[in-house]
Amino acid sequence: MAELRRRGLVTAVVCSGPFLKLGRNQARTFGVPDLPLIEIAHPLGGIALDEVRERARQALPAWLELLEKHAK
Amino acid sequence: MSELGDLLKAPGASLEAEDDFEAVNELYRARGWGDGLPIVPPSAERVERMLAYCDRPWGEPVGRIPPRWGEATPLRLAANAVMAGCRPEYFPVVLHALEAMCEERFNFYGIQATTHPCAALVLVNGPIARELGINCGHNAFGPGWQANATIGRAVRLAMINIGGALPGSGDMATFGSPAKYTYCAAENEEASPWEPLHVELGFPREASTVTVFAAEAPHNVNDHESLSAEGVLTSIAGTIAIPGANNIYFDGEPLVVFGPEHAATVAREGYSKADVKKFFYERARLPLGKLSRENVERRIRVYPLYKGEFVHAGPEALVPIIKSPDGVYIAVVGGAGKHSAYVPTFGSSRPVTRALRRRDGEFARSIEDFRRR
Repeated sequence: MAELRRRGLVTAVVCSGPFLKLGRNQARTFGVPDLPLIEIAHPLGGIALDEVRERARQALPAWLELLEKHAK
Repeated sequence: MSELGDLLKAPGASLEAEDDFEAVNELYRARGWGDGLPIVPPSAERVERMLAYCDRPWGEPVGRIPPRWGEATPLRLAANAVMAGCRPEYFPVVLHALEAMCEERFNFYGIQATTHPCAALVLVNGPIARELGINCGHNAFGPGWQANATIGRAVRLAMINIGGALPGSGDMATFGSPAKYTYCAAENEEASPWEPLHVELGFPREASTVTVFAAEAPHNVNDHESLSAEGVLTSIAGTIAIPGANNIYFDGEPLVVFGPEHAATVAREGYSKADVKKFFYERARLPLGKLSRENVERRIRVYPLYKGEFVHAGPEALVPIIKSPDGVYIAVVGGAGKHSAYVPTFGSSRPVTRALRRRDGEFARSIEDFRRR
């Protein structure tokens, strides 16, 4: 993901609340501290498919915003 | 002091602190360096004494420890070994264990950051294990032995301090395990009826090795009743066949630790290690019905490992925990008593064995081979 970001592609990591710190630390470690983290409700594991879809819906606006920013 | 003096001049390599046990411990606690227990302050003098048993350049990279991917060097590892309370002669074991863990197939990142409670088990074989007095007998996985307690702790401290495995930001274990404080033992080669692990893996008997496992704490198998090999092996196989451990889903080469008395009962009937492994492969199987319907539908039936075999299977179908006739490690550890143990693993990780080698690549015959001349 860090490599993709360095190449200029639109990148983001989707993660749930408890994993944001790990995500931020990893982004710093890999030299892309501004890598966007899109937060979704926890948990992501052990949930039904309709709840997974709900998580995707949660992430979508932030993701679209990133794409729009990139297009400009 | 000149080599160490030069290394300590690098930015961030050292810090000034009051020469006081409590003050240093308070400083380390405030910075999140450590495992929560008091540490031995790693003064330059103590670190240099630790490095007396390191025949490599002290700044040479050993590997990178995730998730921070901090560079492990002898110098940094020695500081952690001091903090853990190691004697200097233990240091080569700590260094080789970390080197083994940095091999790709160990999946160090996964082990550090997972929600699973796996710890780093360091199993030591060969004459150096005896020379260092690493406990292989009574209470080998328990307290009371400096080598076991401090080698395992040094490995963990390196994982925390160099690798950044801090609870909730680098180490995401849901609740972790007491085995994450320290987890080190030697194989009881003298009490084993079989060839020791390192010989089985192709190393000369006179070599010494460390084998690292991403392991859960041992789960005991109490069997005072079985008088036959099949009896003992059936009890152990039944303990392996549990639904909660990762080994049902992954080919993660778990470990079976035989107590010497169980090992003797099994070997007396002519069972080799290969026979024992084959027994576990064939008999350590869990009926699909012991898993929740959701687990079967969402995991067993879609995993590449099982897809073909279990897609239409009923609740009585047997899922192998050991995925091939040699997909399990065997070691003999412990003292008297009719106990063995099953050590489940992380699954997405392979045990790694490394021989303790001198700088010139030769097998070390004694820990003194590492002493700086």
